[in-house]
Amino acid sequence: MIGLWDTTGSAVVKALAAERRTAGGVTSGLALTLIVITEEGEVRAAEAAATVAAAAHPCRLLIVVRDEVTHARSRLDAEVVVGGRLGPCEAVVMRMRGRLALHAESVVMPLLAPDVPVVTWWRCGPPDRIAYDPLGVVAERRITDTLQCDDPLLALRTRADDYAPGDTDLAWTRITPWRTLVASVFDASHTLPTTITIEASEKDPSALLMSGWLHSRLGVEPELLPVPGAHMQGLTMQMRDGGTVKIQRENGSALVQRTGLPDRRMPLADRSLGEDLAEELRRLDPDPTYAIALAAATGLNGFERRSPHRVHIWHDPALAERPDTANIAGSDDGATEHAGTGPSGAPEAEVSGSARVSGDVEAAGDTRAPADTSNTPQ
Amino acid sequence: MKNPLRDPQDRRLPRIPEPCALVIFGVTGDLSRKKLIPALYDLANRGLLPPGFVVLGFARRDWGDEDFADLARNAAQAHARTPWRDEVWDRLSSNIKFVPGSFDDDEAFDRLAQTLDELRASHGIEGNAAFYLSIPPSAFPVVLKQLERTGMSDNQKSGGWRRVVVEKPFGNDLQSAKQLNDLVDHAFTPGDVFRIDHYLGKETVQNILALRFANTLFEPVWNSLYVDSVQITMAEDVGIGTRAAFYDTVGTTRDVVQNHLLQLLSLVTMEEPTGFSADEIRTEKLKVLRAIKLPADIARDTVRGQYQPGWVAGERVPGYLDEKGVPADSTTETYVALTLGIQNRRWAGIPFYIRAGKRLPRRVTEIAVLFKKAPHLPFAPSDVEMLGANQFVIRVQPDEGITLKFGSKVPGTTMEVRDITMDVQYGEAFTEASPEAYERLILDVLLGDKTLFPDAAEVEAGWKVVDPLEEAWTGTKPEPYRAGEWGPRAADEMLVRTGRAWRRA
Repeated sequence: MIGLWDTTGSAVVKALAAERRTAGGVTSGLALTLIVITEEGEVRAAEAAATVAAAAHPCRLLIVVRDEVTHARSRLDAEVVVGGRLGPCEAVVMRMRGRLALHAESVVMPLLAPDVPVVTWWRCGPPDRIAYDPLGVVAERRITDTLQCDDPLLALRTRADDYAPGDTDLAWTRITPWRTLVASVFDASHTLPTTITIEASEKDPSALLMSGWLHSRLGVEPELLPVPGAHMQGLTMQMRDGGTVKIQRENGSALVQRTGLPDRRMPLADRSLGEDLAEELRRLDPDPTYAIALAAATGLNGFERRSPHRVHIWHDPALAERPDTANIAGSDDGATEHAGTGPSGAPEAEVSGSARVSGDVEAAGDTRAPADTSNTPQ
Repeated sequence: MKNPLRDPQDRRLPRIPEPCALVIFGVTGDLSRKKLIPALYDLANRGLLPPGFVVLGFARRDWGDEDFADLARNAAQAHARTPWRDEVWDRLSSNIKFVPGSFDDDEAFDRLAQTLDELRASHGIEGNAAFYLSIPPSAFPVVLKQLERTGMSDNQKSGGWRRVVVEKPFGNDLQSAKQLNDLVDHAFTPGDVFRIDHYLGKETVQNILALRFANTLFEPVWNSLYVDSVQITMAEDVGIGTRAAFYDTVGTTRDVVQNHLLQLLSLVTMEEPTGFSADEIRTEKLKVLRAIKLPADIARDTVRGQYQPGWVAGERVPGYLDEKGVPADSTTETYVALTLGIQNRRWAGIPFYIRAGKRLPRRVTEIAVLFKKAPHLPFAPSDVEMLGANQFVIRVQPDEGITLKFGSKVPGTTMEVRDITMDVQYGEAFTEASPEAYERLILDVLLGDKTLFPDAAEVEAGWKVVDPLEEAWTGTKPEPYRAGEWGPRAADEMLVRTGRAWRRA
């Protein structure tokens, strides 16, 4: 393990190469680069999950922690781990503070493993538009988690508005065991449901996606029955032949009750975050079933016509948070240079010209700290 | 009615079989305890078994349900691959039933048939059942007759599918294999017979087809223009253990060459199938199996060996003749090396060296494709002294992976070229998630997917290769080799004669 404090992107690249050399012949078959965007408090959880997922999908893991974007001085700390506590992956944990955090791609891009797919996972509330985050724009696959947001249902709606092929949400991944169970009901059944009731928490985005999926496949719009509890609790279907199928979650398993058959218990384990992530990494192409379920859940459509490529949109969260302040954090940068910031204070999104990620829109004014001071400890 | 919730685009949903029963004959045996029951637990743990899945264990022992439950639990706990979860086992074991009886006991089979009928109502299995014959082939006729007599093997009568799973050995020669095939195919229908060759359940073996037919890189050089020879090795460091009674009557060739190694050979050499369906793959495999050419002089171009006492992995081990249960004058081989050819345009003239043996230095199964040397080297002869031929090696077990050997310049001021090895540990990182061969194969039986199961014609084609060899070897004695060596010296000489050498596997 190499720890680098107050360092530069190129030093991190060198450290990774050195660490790979000394570690010997580890991970020669990289399947992908996984970028994890997270907050300080979530780093351990993200690391643990990525380690589990990396066991199934050898990857280069780049964890980016953004902190205090309004801080006047940019600073990068990095930790390089190859084949150590993070399992079979080679990992770089980067903590970025100050304006650098808005230009994380400048550090991350040279670290991407050559010509393998890039997956970006937000282990925090994702940006309203993925295009705001250059680390989302470089990725073929983007994984969000609406359950991390304050209002998960609103967040799911936002994801639908912003959807592009290649996006998925962990709220969808979490119901794979549920969907497997419900699908197996119809393996041995020759009848369709007339009504469906889903019991779940009111704020559960997974239940909404479940509802959307069943609606799109069965043509019956399920009714959501609010119950306390964090997860989906149960599902009841009235069948055309008069029978009833009832599936109820009971710690670690599901009780399947069906007219005319004895009660059965089926596995319905609570999966760890790592297992969910591993499922996400199994397919690196768009998930059309998710798109259809998301469309049905939110009433939007035309998802299949959206371009899988996004163009980076410059977006300064500091400005978005404090629209009245044109002068932030010690008359920093960006703000004054951005012509788009009108008197109303609402920053206008500026679209950079190419599909590639670029920080050139305001690069000049941004990196205030000159190169010669960036290595000096504070 | 097609299941409205299943959609080929929806790849998150695993394939789950229809509700069904698995009947295991010989459920108290070694295979069942070490492989089948643990594999069933792993499948249950991964949520891949259907609701209403039932296991019926049939064995001679006078056991009660509880004794059997204990045995099954211990077996699953000792050999399962996935973490142990009591609730998973409890759920599975509540659906394991034990039917005691002997194979010639009509009443026991009537009881079994009745139990299966009852399950139709109680578990909704609709008459679907697979019969796993984990019993010696000598017991096949009587069991199959019983299944026929009670109508259990009849798809129509049962109103669902009825499948049968047989383990190797698939006969002892062409004639006995044909008899066995006729017997099984008659009791069931040929399409419902699943022959297990557990090598085909291995991820790396399945990967051979992906490697060859999903890439552009390998196929253009995969022929006699560029390939010099192919070596297929299956080495084991263990001896025959407690299998003397069985092993001494068959020998290495019948035990592993006829099935595993010829299957590997066919996968490496077959032409591209028109599609990835079971039938289309089988067509190509059969073509190449039928094109296998035996050496003109079998005595010269094949070598049989038998291990003598020696040291393996730091332990002194007895010779084959000293193993318990082996006759002192046994001429059964524990090592075999063959030179085979394949008569088709792609492979004519290329030797395929196949070797398998017990008590060799280490356990390894690999397929090595050795390429011809470059026709011209523009370097000074002294610069390329250390340069060998390119090799492409598929390691099947252990450490599944791929090795590519090619020449590269040694850093420095002179133009020195030397072989280096590039190693892709396909296994290392993926094994944790990759299932045991038996998990995959049992699941495929229940799903009715025959891609990974050799059919009667393939088995018979295999015997057509082995039978003439066995005939030519009658009356000859195997060459001795010390335990812990790479086989008898005659095997090395067989390659030296053609200017080649075995790759140290």
